[in-house]
Amino acid sequence: MKYAYFPGCSVEASAQEYAMSSKAVNKVLDIEFVEIPDWNCCGSIDAVHAYNPILSLSLSARNLSIAEGMNLEVVTLCSACFFTLSRAGKMLREDPRLKGTVDKVINDAGLKFAGEIKVRHYLDVLINDVGVEKIAQHVKAPLNGLKVASYYGCLLVRPPQIRSFDDSEHPKSMDRIVEALGAQSLDYNDRTRCCGASLVLTDKDVMLEMTKDVLLSAKNLGADCIVTPCPMCHFNLDAKQKEIESHFGLKIDIPTLYFTQLIGIAFGLDPKELGLDRNMVSPSKILAKLKAPVQVAPKT
Amino acid sequence: MKTKHSQRITDQTGNLAFLEEMKKTPSGQKILDCIQCGVCAGSCHARFAMDYSPMQIIKMVQLGLKDDVLASSTIWICASCYTCTSRCPRGIDVPLLMSSLKNMAIQNHVPARIPTKPKFHKAFTEIVGKYGRMHEPQLQVKLMSKSNPKELFGNASLGLKMWRKGKVKLSPSKIERIGEMESIFKGALKKEEEKK
Repeated sequence: MKYAYFPGCSVEASAQEYAMSSKAVNKVLDIEFVEIPDWNCCGSIDAVHAYNPILSLSLSARNLSIAEGMNLEVVTLCSACFFTLSRAGKMLREDPRLKGTVDKVINDAGLKFAGEIKVRHYLDVLINDVGVEKIAQHVKAPLNGLKVASYYGCLLVRPPQIRSFDDSEHPKSMDRIVEALGAQSLDYNDRTRCCGASLVLTDKDVMLEMTKDVLLSAKNLGADCIVTPCPMCHFNLDAKQKEIESHFGLKIDIPTLYFTQLIGIAFGLDPKELGLDRNMVSPSKILAKLKAPVQVAPKT
Repeated sequence: MKTKHSQRITDQTGNLAFLEEMKKTPSGQKILDCIQCGVCAGSCHARFAMDYSPMQIIKMVQLGLKDDVLASSTIWICASCYTCTSRCPRGIDVPLLMSSLKNMAIQNHVPARIPTKPKFHKAFTEIVGKYGRMHEPQLQVKLMSKSNPKELFGNASLGLKMWRKGKVKLSPSKIERIGEMESIFKGALKKEEEKK
């Protein structure tokens, strides 16, 4: 299985463990990523779009234009890039006048864009192209007894009009993978609640409040860890967790992993290769729990 | 407070040129389809931090209350989470509408209820223009509140911890064909000027 890979800016920097763990998982599952040469910022959902909408759409179009020459489907790890590239494709397909304007801008830069290329998220690929059965076959260290809250966030499944591979209110795809790894997937109600990622640099108090709710409901459910498919969500849930604890006077201490890191653990891969030492809230608690001998209930 | 808002909304006569302008934006075409059912307002995860609900903003756009809309905190607080759009029975892309309203506020130099917001959009775009990609540390530095030492220290300390874990790239990654980026920026800027 071969795809045109769009890394995105976060995956290159603050979300490196996501790139590392997906690379390790790809090796096991025989998936090949061919990086889109000279890719640029996806165009952003709102950051560039609010400043200059045509610019945002043209940035997306440049990426899609380069990818079109590769004759492969586009895959990205980042939910925000996935959404932005998908939305741009849809808007340009449905609005010929808008496409005319964007075409003018990118043609002047020496680029052409047909607009038919498909953009997919890595989770979609794992669920629908690889399949949970194949993932389960590669499990060497089942995650028995581990309670996992699958947090999907916003832009992976919403809105259904963009491109849906899962339910927008109660998605299940990541839970299915979690269960295939031998862990217990919790019925986590806040799985699609917004963490406020786009507010992190400008409205921190609002973001802290929003992320706190996401963390606390997982904690109250008894989750050992949270898994997420989005670098934006991961930054808030993981890197900002200490600040949330001190801001609200709470003790949360819940490791947040990329779902690919959890897959890697169950595949028996080296924690270093999965970037587990890079998570800000140490996942050592869950690694220790997995190593502990299974408690056998006494016979009655 | 709520009563005061709804009275203000229905009492004022507005600027209908504003509505016509909004109807030309990508999601503005559907603005008159809104039936004021309130699903967006009830679904919004950031409603607690907004002055008007998304439903009220749409009504205000319909009535042409340009000044109130562009001066609201709502347009800046919307986190583009798309819960509203997923549930809207009329298929209105509310976050895209909010984005167009932000754009209008920036273009018209309307003082923003959250002053860092226009700076954020400008700084983000400038960094992408320079490198073709985002460089997170530069964006942080551009937006750092120099008057708040506690926050400055907090950001620096998190930055350092992340750097120790290899999660901060000190030098930006720049695309090779930066000339294409320059051309795209020039072309898009021209389109934005033509709107005025």
